[in-house]
Parts: sequence; C-alpha cells; structure tokens
Amino acid sequence: MKSLAEVLQSWEAVIGLEVHAELTCLKTKMFCSCAIEYGASPNTHVCPVCLGLPGALPVPNRAAIEGIVMAGLACGCEIMRDSMFYRKNYFYPDMSKNFQTTQGPIAFCMQGGLDLELVGKAAEERWDLAGTEPLDVGVAQGYRTHIGITRIHMEEDAGKMVHVGGSDGRITGAAYSLIDYNRCGTPLIELVTEPDMRSPEEARAFLQKLRQIYLTLGISDVSMEEGSLRCDGNVSLRRRGVSELGVKTELKNMNSFKNLHDGLAYEICRQAEVLEEGGSVRQETRHWEPAQKRTFTLRVKETADDYRLFPEPDLAPYHLSDEFVAGVAARLPELPDEKKTRYLEEYGLPWPDAVTLSSDPALSRFLDAALMDEGGAAAVKLARPLANLLLNEVSAWLASPQAPQSLALAAFSPQSLAELAELACAGTLSSKQVKEVFAQMAESGTSPKQIVKEQGLRQVSDVDAIQQVVAEVLAANPEKVDEYRAGKTGLLGFFVGQAMKAMGGQGNPKLINQLLEDALKG
Amino acid sequence: MGQLTLSEYRQLSVADIRDGIAARQFLAADVVEAALTAVEALDCQVHSFLEVTGEAARQAAAHIDQALAAETAAQPAGLGTLAGVPIAFKDNMNLEGSHTTCASRILENYHSLYTATCVARSLEAGGLSLGKLNMDEFAFGSSTETSAFGCTFNPWDLERVPGGSSGGPAAAVAAGIVTVSLGSDTGGSIRQPASFCGVVGFKPTYGLVSRYGVVAFGSSLDQVGPLGRSVADVAAVMDAIGGRDPLDCTSQHLDVKFVAKELLEAGVQGMRIGYVPDFLELDGLTGEVKRACEAAMANLEALGAQLVPVELPNAKAALAAYYVIGPCEAFSNLSRFDSVRYGYCAEAAANLGQQYEQSRAQGFGPEVIRRVMLGSYLLSAGVYDTYYYPAQQVRTLITADYARAFECCEALITPTSPRTAFRFGEIADPTSMYLSDIFTLPINIAGNGGLSLPVGMGDETGLPVGVQIIGPQFKDDQIFRVAAALEAVYAGQGSVSLAPLESILAKTGGDVQ
Repeated sequence: MKSLAEVLQSWEAVIGLEVHAELTCLKTKMFCSCAIEYGASPNTHVCPVCLGLPGALPVPNRAAIEGIVMAGLACGCEIMRDSMFYRKNYFYPDMSKNFQTTQGPIAFCMQGGLDLELVGKAAEERWDLAGTEPLDVGVAQGYRTHIGITRIHMEEDAGKMVHVGGSDGRITGAAYSLIDYNRCGTPLIELVTEPDMRSPEEARAFLQKLRQIYLTLGISDVSMEEGSLRCDGNVSLRRRGVSELGVKTELKNMNSFKNLHDGLAYEICRQAEVLEEGGSVRQETRHWEPAQKRTFTLRVKETADDYRLFPEPDLAPYHLSDEFVAGVAARLPELPDEKKTRYLEEYGLPWPDAVTLSSDPALSRFLDAALMDEGGAAAVKLARPLANLLLNEVSAWLASPQAPQSLALAAFSPQSLAELAELACAGTLSSKQVKEVFAQMAESGTSPKQIVKEQGLRQVSDVDAIQQVVAEVLAANPEKVDEYRAGKTGLLGFFVGQAMKAMGGQGNPKLINQLLEDALKG
Repeated sequence: MGQLTLSEYRQLSVADIRDGIAARQFLAADVVEAALTAVEALDCQVHSFLEVTGEAARQAAAHIDQALAAETAAQPAGLGTLAGVPIAFKDNMNLEGSHTTCASRILENYHSLYTATCVARSLEAGGLSLGKLNMDEFAFGSSTETSAFGCTFNPWDLERVPGGSSGGPAAAVAAGIVTVSLGSDTGGSIRQPASFCGVVGFKPTYGLVSRYGVVAFGSSLDQVGPLGRSVADVAAVMDAIGGRDPLDCTSQHLDVKFVAKELLEAGVQGMRIGYVPDFLELDGLTGEVKRACEAAMANLEALGAQLVPVELPNAKAALAAYYVIGPCEAFSNLSRFDSVRYGYCAEAAANLGQQYEQSRAQGFGPEVIRRVMLGSYLLSAGVYDTYYYPAQQVRTLITADYARAFECCEALITPTSPRTAFRFGEIADPTSMYLSDIFTLPINIAGNGGLSLPVGMGDETGLPVGVQIIGPQFKDDQIFRVAAALEAVYAGQGSVSLAPLESILAKTGGDVQ
C-alpha cells in the first residue's frame, strides 16, 4: 500500500466528521431526573422513563438545551428559534424504547464553522493548499482553513451492552448479553461537519479544537477514553481536479486523537489502493482496529437505513425566545481563540505557548489569575516566565501521581506562582532552584519568598564572589587546567561542577560558565 | 348505620357515598364489601374486570373509617372528593401492586412498577381501587372484542358488545359494579362505549389530564377521562384527576371546578349550541340515533338554548387522517414491547432478531399487528411524505374548523356513535369497525373535549343512545353546563344509567332486598 503522502499526490481526500459529546456537566438525564454518573454500578441510575417502562413520558431537561445553545454559539452556528424533537425508530436492546429521541431536519444549531490553524509537521501533510490562507507564526509556517459545521443537534444516549461468550465481545455468537441502562437517556449533542477537511491532520485539529471549546464551555468532560466524546469519520477520495464526490465509507472506533488520524490515514490509503486497482469503494461502515492498524467492514449499507423519523408527539415543538438565547450568550466564557489572541497581543507570549495555554481552561485560568493584579508592562514581563512555569513545572507536576486531580485543588495559589516567576525573572533563583522551590511550594503551599528566606536560597550573581571561587577552583586543579588549555575543552563541565559545589549550588550558572571560560583562556 | 345491600349500593352516586360516610350512615368498609359483592354477583356475567384488587380497596376503606373515627372538631378527617367511592381503571393504567396488561398476551404477566398520575390522584382523593378493567388490546378497537382475555358483555344486553376500547370501564359502571371508572380515549374509546352502555363518558381537552403512567397508543391523541352514571359523578372525578403534572409536559392547569353548583345548575338559557347538519345526513347513521339526537336538540331549545347550524367542512377527512396519525404513533409507542426487559418472550428464538419477531408475533393479537404494520409502512421512506405529512396538514385544517365553529356557539351537539350496541361478531370487517368512531375521532384530531350523555333508548333497538357535547379547547366547563341541563330533562323522564341486569340479579336471590 502506498504511503499517505504518495496517495495525496494524485488523490484528494474529502473528510467529514460526526462528533458526539455527552453533556456530562449536567446533574440529570435528558428526559428524566436520574443522575448522570460514569462508572456507577449497573442499572442504579434508572427509572420508568429511561427504562422505557409502559406509560412513561419524557420531560425535557432545560439545562441541556442551554448546553447545546452554548455549543452552537461557540461554533458560530445560527440558533434556530423553532425546532422539534423527533423519534428515530430502530430495534436494539440498548435503546429501551426502541426509538431514540433526537432532532429532525431543523436542529437547535445550524450552519456554523470553525477556523483551524495548522503549523509545522501537521501542516506538511497537505501540499495542495487551495482554499486556505498562509500562516506564519514565527517559529513555524502553516496555513489557516475554515471547516463548515452543518448542524449540532440534541439527542439521548443509549445504554451499554456487554456480550458474553462470543468472539471479540460482539453480539454474534454471544451466549448472552448484559445491558446497563445507566447511560441510557444521557443528553448527547451531535455535531456534523461539512466534508471540508482534506487531511487526517485537519480532522485531528478540528476535533482537538472542538474538545477545547466544549471544555472551556464546561458542558462536557469530553473524555474519549470514557466515551463522553466520540467521533466517527466519513471519508472519500477523488482525483485531483475532479469536483464530484467519491463513494464514502464511515469509520468508527476512533477513540483517541491518534486513532482518528491513523484510522483516516489508513482508510485513505486503502481506498486509493482499491481505486487504483480498478475497483470501486463500497458504501459501508468500517471499524478501525488500532492493534492491527487496519479497518475492516462492520456493515454494508446497501440501502439507506429507514429510521422512520417523525415528530415526537410527547414533546411540544420548542421555541427559544430571544431573551433565552441572549441570556446564554451573555454567560459564554472567553473562548480559546479569543484567549489566544489576547495572550499574543496583550502578553506577547510566543505562538506555541499562547496556543497551548489558551486551549487548556485550567492552565489559562491560573495564568489569568496570577496576572490579575499586574498591569501593563509588569504583566507582559511576568507572562513569559509564568507561561514557562505553567507549561513545564506545573504541567509535569500535574501529570505526577502526587498531584491532585485538578489544578484548582493545588495547595499553592496563582499569586504564589507569580511570585516564583518574579524570582526566576529577576535572576534571584537559578532554574534548578526554581524547580526546587516549586516542588516545595506544590507540596506545602508555602509562598516562594518564604521558602527562599527560610532556606537561604538565592542565586549568587555577584561577579567578584564568583571570580574568587573560579580562581580557587583553577588553583586546586592545575593538571586539569593544563589539559583544558591543551585542547580538552570538554573539561569545562568539570570546572563548572566544582565551582557550583563550592558555592553550595547557589551560583548563577550562566555567570560561572562565562567567568570560567574567560579565566581558562588565560 | 348498617350494611349496604347490593341494590342500594348500585344506586349510590359519588356524593351519596361521600356524604353517607361523612354522616356516618355507613362505613367505607360497608361500601367496599358491597362493591366486592357486586363484582362477585355481576362480573361473572359482564366480565368487565381483568383483575380485582379487593385487599387494596379494603385497606383504603379502613383508612378512611379510621380517620373518621379519630376525627375531632380540631382535626377534621379531611375526606377527599372521592372518599369511599369504588373506582376501577382501564388496564392500560399503571397501578403499583397490580398488573397492567393492556389486555394483551405480551403484557399478561407484567406487574406495574409505578402508579399512573390519574390513578394516584383518584386514590389520593379517597377513591377505593377495585381493580383493572377490560379493553380492546392496547386500545385498538371499538368493541372490546380484541381483548386477549375474553369479551366484555353489554349489561343492557349480554349478547351485545359494550363498545370500546374502554368497554370494561363502561360496562362496570353501567352494571353498577363500580360507581365510576377511568378510561382512555384516542378516537372515541371513552365516549362510544359510554353511549353503548348508557352511561356518561368524558374525554377532556387534550392536556387536561396527565397521561403519565397510561400506556400510550397515539400520544398526540390519547386522553384520560372518567365514566360514571351521572354528569355530577364524572365532574367529581375530573376535579380529582385533572390539572398539570410535572411528569407529563403536555399537561396543563385549568382553573375550573367541575362539580360546582354554579356550573351544573346554570342551565343553558341563552347559550348558543351548534349542530352539524351534514353529520345528521351521514350514511350509516341509524334512524333511531338520528331521532334521539334531534330530540335532544329540541330539548335544549326548549330549555332556552339557541341552536346554530355550523359547518365542519374538513371533518370528513378526519377518519383518514386518524388512521394515519394513530397507527404511526402506535407503531413507535409499541416498539418497546420487545421481550428484552419485560413481557412475553418466545422461548425457541435462536438469536435476537428471532426473539423480537417471534415474541411480537405471538404476543400481539391480529388488530395490534395490523396497526403496527400500517404505522411501520406509513412512516417508511417515500411513503411518509405521501401520508403522514398531509395527515398533519389535515389535522391543522380540522382544528381550525372547530375553532371557527366555536366563534358562533359555546358548545356543539352531535350523535356519539352512528348506532346502538351491536352483537358480538356482527362487524367483522376492520374498516366498518373504524366507522363507528366517525363522530368521536375528529375531536381527538382537533384536541377538543367531548362528553357522551345517555339520552334514553333507541326506538328500534331499545338500547341506550348517547349524544356528544363538544366544547372549545380548555373550555370544558361549558360542556358540563350543557350536559347537566340536558341530563335533568332525561332524569325527569325516568331515564337511568344503571342497567337493570334483572336476570342476573334474580339468581343472587336474598341479597336483593
């Protein structure tokens, strides 16, 4: 099979995504008052409504409607004032009523879009940049492209099934199946994109961006691992220069960003091989198997599924008032793109730092809180060392087992982190000392100034003091000085180490290096 | 204070029972024993019950009696509007501790896990639940002949059907086994059996009574309502069960007290009452029903009402629209009966697909299968646009017709059913059976409330005839005003809602005192 780069030389990939997100921020389900809780004992959050018992009726959750309207506004969609719920009829045991309550032709959110910025390696996957805008971010080059969003609609999730005794945990051949209806009725928003993506990297970038938006909105915990964010891809190929679309396949089981990318990349190459051998692509649903790094047929769609969609008679048509929509809009938090622009323009952060921080709600909240008391030039001066601390020390610490579950639960305050940044910035602490102080601060919550004071930690940048130590080190090691001067310059590290040792680790390494080199030149 | 005889008990109204208990003329326990005697003596012939919940009724009665015994001036017993009143429920209503079978094999062993709002409110008002009543399977039918558990017999003539689908609720009230009952009405299922059995049956405006806990047939058409032997009894039940329910988002609050004297004794002087000349010329309308309806109209005029001819030009399309919308919703509503979580499960199935197919094929009766298949077809791709969509447009037109008609009148009067009760098996062709709802189903399409009132016996068959009083949406109080006035005329002529059942009662011998 050809590589993706080879395939994309002669073929254009056309990719669309369907992204499901559970509104996990809600306390209760879409149409009943059962709690939403991931990992609860099976069938402990169920009632007549979500179990589909005879006679039960749905009552819509208003907070869920607010959630989807937030998502729509954040994705540039038009919020439809009048829409309805529909019933999608199909038989499967995980759907207790044997119909899914979803939306019809008009969803709550229609016709939006997101701008993606791809730089560096991610941008290289695409050589044909038609319809894109060049982008230079200093450290790297890339492009900006717009991905249309067809709609975002509201629906309910199904339960979970476990098939016992069959092969691969599938229903065919299983001895019996277990059903857990805890998830049944969880509010789900499904976003459908236009077929606007042209490379697997664009698909990955889209999903990452959408995830950051949902996270910022606080409507979902968007965990691909726990299934609260799920993505299916539609992909087809066409010869370069051809405008009509090829036959598409639908790809499932891409439950990580890497799987989304790799699954699409494989499928593009597979389709190219089929087409180049004179075959034709079958319209079908395929399953990505990461372990085998290939896709295989899940089911063939010979005719379109007939879900017998019709308006849900138990739920009145929805009318969203202008006040309601305006109220939701007023509560929208600053979105990652707006935040990134602010970090670039107001704080002067480098592009990669601005992108990473703006897309992480917890880190950016900490950054903004730390800089809250600083104005103008002071903020600009502190922003970079703070960003460094957040992206390095704080991020590494958060990933360690001793860290709490979220940054909000940390023992130290944003102000303490700002203090540490200030000490680092002023050269008072060496980078090694910064790490030490951070570790102590993270553990105890003690302020950096206090730690420095108690332990007498400070970086010695006094040239005369260092000069003296350098002279002592050289005097104590005459043979090594000779060797160095004979060309064994690798010994510099040895001298630095000796000098640092002599200074109790508090010497400014940069100065020590410089003064040693000067002295050794003799 | 003493025991109630069967014949005394059968005569009692809701107010008689509540007041009698309050005045200590008899105990709630006496009422419940008399009611259980009535079940035993009469239901072996009428077969209106699918399940009798005697113990629950006895406990509820004991509760009332204890409250009364402990009553002090400072702490009144606080009797509800239905205190001590024997009531029973169509078997599509959930009542925890009883079965809910919908008269279907597929739910034969299904135990209710919760209680429907209308049932709970009846019991909270002091009603004594005697049990669950027979019906057409899943309410599909107009004769109760499609019940999987046998027919119900019309108490006025045991060789005839009680109508349907609420045949059990109508027959139990007409036989005097219970004082009142609850039915559900999707196309006439309360009103048509009420007319066949000579009792009062009321389908409220859609939304007046919560549907929560009532097994759905056509969600946009279904409405729960009471049956009783008088307008006042039905009004009392409405006061207990009506109003907004947070568990049914289509339910609404209505600020009306139906039992109020100001309403039931207001008379119709000066009211404009519409009639539809086209309806009275309809093919299939029997002479005796037409004459009875015209007599009722004349009575209203004599009471001071003004009769106004109105047109409902789109009503003739109601049957067609109904047999699109109803089966479509039913198809989807009945999908949950798949044998996976509850209900009949075919043993021999080799895989999930077979389990679905065999359980449903064996668990559902022919009329259910007919409607499910019809709905499945009508909603399928390509067909949907041809039927479902136009049916909804027709629905809008019919709704507008009624709204327009009510611009020039406060109530409408029509026959309830084109004919009186027919014999078992007499109507075998499904489409002829569907025609028996021709006068009732247009208002399920439009959403308005309607009440069937008995207006004496047909001059050919000697069987009960009912007329239907229809009101504007959410102005159901106007229906009660007209019905109560007209009822008084017939009561004056000696017309009663209680079927004599002489042949059966004769056998019970000494009990009839």
